[in-house]
Amino acid sequence: MNTIAAPAVGIGLRQPHYREVFERRPQLDFLEVHSENFFLDGGAAMHALERARAAYPISLHGVGLSLGSADGFAQAHLDKLKRLVDRVEPALVSEHLSWGSLGSRHFNDLLPLPHTREVLALLGERVDRVQSALKRPILVENVSSYVEFRDSAMTDTALLDELARRTGCGILFDVNNLYVNAVNFGFDPMARLAELSPAAVGEMHLAGHTVADGCLIDTHGARVCAEVWTLFAAACRRFGRKPTLIEWDTDLPALDVLLGEAATAAAIARRAHEDVHA
Amino acid sequence: MPDLLDIQRDLALGLLDAEDGSRAARRLVGDAGLLQRRLAIYRANAAVTAARALGAAYPVVRQVVGDAFFDRLAQACQRHVPSTSGDLFDYGAEFAGFVAEFPHTRSLPYLPDLARLEWAVHRAHGAADARDWDRQGLAHVAPAQQTAIRLAWAAGTAVVASAYPIARIWQIHQSDFEGAFEVDWSVRECALIGRDGFRVRVSAIRAGDAAFIASSLAGAALGACLEAALAADPDFDLGAVLGRLIASNLVCGFTTDKDD
Repeated sequence: MNTIAAPAVGIGLRQPHYREVFERRPQLDFLEVHSENFFLDGGAAMHALERARAAYPISLHGVGLSLGSADGFAQAHLDKLKRLVDRVEPALVSEHLSWGSLGSRHFNDLLPLPHTREVLALLGERVDRVQSALKRPILVENVSSYVEFRDSAMTDTALLDELARRTGCGILFDVNNLYVNAVNFGFDPMARLAELSPAAVGEMHLAGHTVADGCLIDTHGARVCAEVWTLFAAACRRFGRKPTLIEWDTDLPALDVLLGEAATAAAIARRAHEDVHA
Repeated sequence: MPDLLDIQRDLALGLLDAEDGSRAARRLVGDAGLLQRRLAIYRANAAVTAARALGAAYPVVRQVVGDAFFDRLAQACQRHVPSTSGDLFDYGAEFAGFVAEFPHTRSLPYLPDLARLEWAVHRAHGAADARDWDRQGLAHVAPAQQTAIRLAWAAGTAVVASAYPIARIWQIHQSDFEGAFEVDWSVRECALIGRDGFRVRVSAIRAGDAAFIASSLAGAALGACLEAALAADPDFDLGAVLGRLIASNLVCGFTTDKDD
């Protein structure tokens, strides 16, 4: 129960859906939760996670470790994550190519990093540290961004691929994040797929965004758009069968909407696989 | 080339200071107008995150002041006492203190105490589950040892004393509350917060009970707890109170100095 069969689709499990998921036991290959929602000693949330774990492989997706903070690393946060990983024995553990804290302040956001050799070296150390603490490889995800740094010397996809090569970590390729950035900064997202080594990709994320003032905002509050499905199909053809997740965090709809999106993802992944092997 | 720390310091200024994004802008690609709009997205995200995190910990305060006002309150709180943890369950410990100083909620003088109660409820939700213990053992402590007993409390147990009926206010705002929506504003209430299975219960208790529990939670031995309780309430009944606390699984063990 702690590996995920391929091709696999899952959904982000959020509190309003707990009961329905436990009662209906929908056909899903895994569930993903935010690690930080379960840094607890006990209570109803931990009980729900144990129930979910008994029925599905679990992916722990972190949003607060702040791998890229220049001024320090939150060992206490890693300790809490380790306790949760030991408790849940998840199939996957992931974090982001981002930073969130400076000094004592935490922005609780996935802030973008400049893509430099310095950042690559820092993330290499941090990922090594996390992986040796957890005694397992993690996945690192490309983030959506609204600003670009003058100092960036490479793309985030190239940086992630090099990070994976150096540390043995996997890549969580968020298709929507790549698309959001492509629109916001005006580049061709298809070309970026070639920068990721298929073997390094360990999971894919799909989500929706909103458009405001000509800028795409990664809200995880809408259906996956047509362009992202197209990009996902191309990613499936290039990377092969990878666990794929429907992420929905704001304006959470009925569970069936998420299951419908998951079914669409599964169908696209299947077709892509048939295309490649035809 | 600037180092990463300089870049992050400059970007942080751009995220915090809506008036001047120039420090951030010199690190970023694009004209000043575009960058102001883009940095505003991060500031808006931060406001939503603060309101969501504090709203999860303080659902009754949110109901009392209304959603729109609460969002502004959360934003103001975040500017005053920012988050220091990547785990948002930890964010909001200072909210009651912030509310106490906030000039625009002075017409709701019970709000800081209600917030303190809600923080205790919030922490209790994530506290360790109760474990079974040997209840008979307590009855077999030698009389000479009894004042030295230190009670062990279920994780999450807390007491909040107030000059207002805060337990009642909390209860009538629960979605499953049944009964009359009446509050006797002349009552000063001490609220006992504790886990019952996965639920968190809040009840009004007598001042003596509250003094007893607060002393014991602070680590005092039974003799000292009893003195504190009797000072607050001459009619304090140790046997009855202990019986209730044990029956409700809030007391979940004990030690005597002999065990130390």
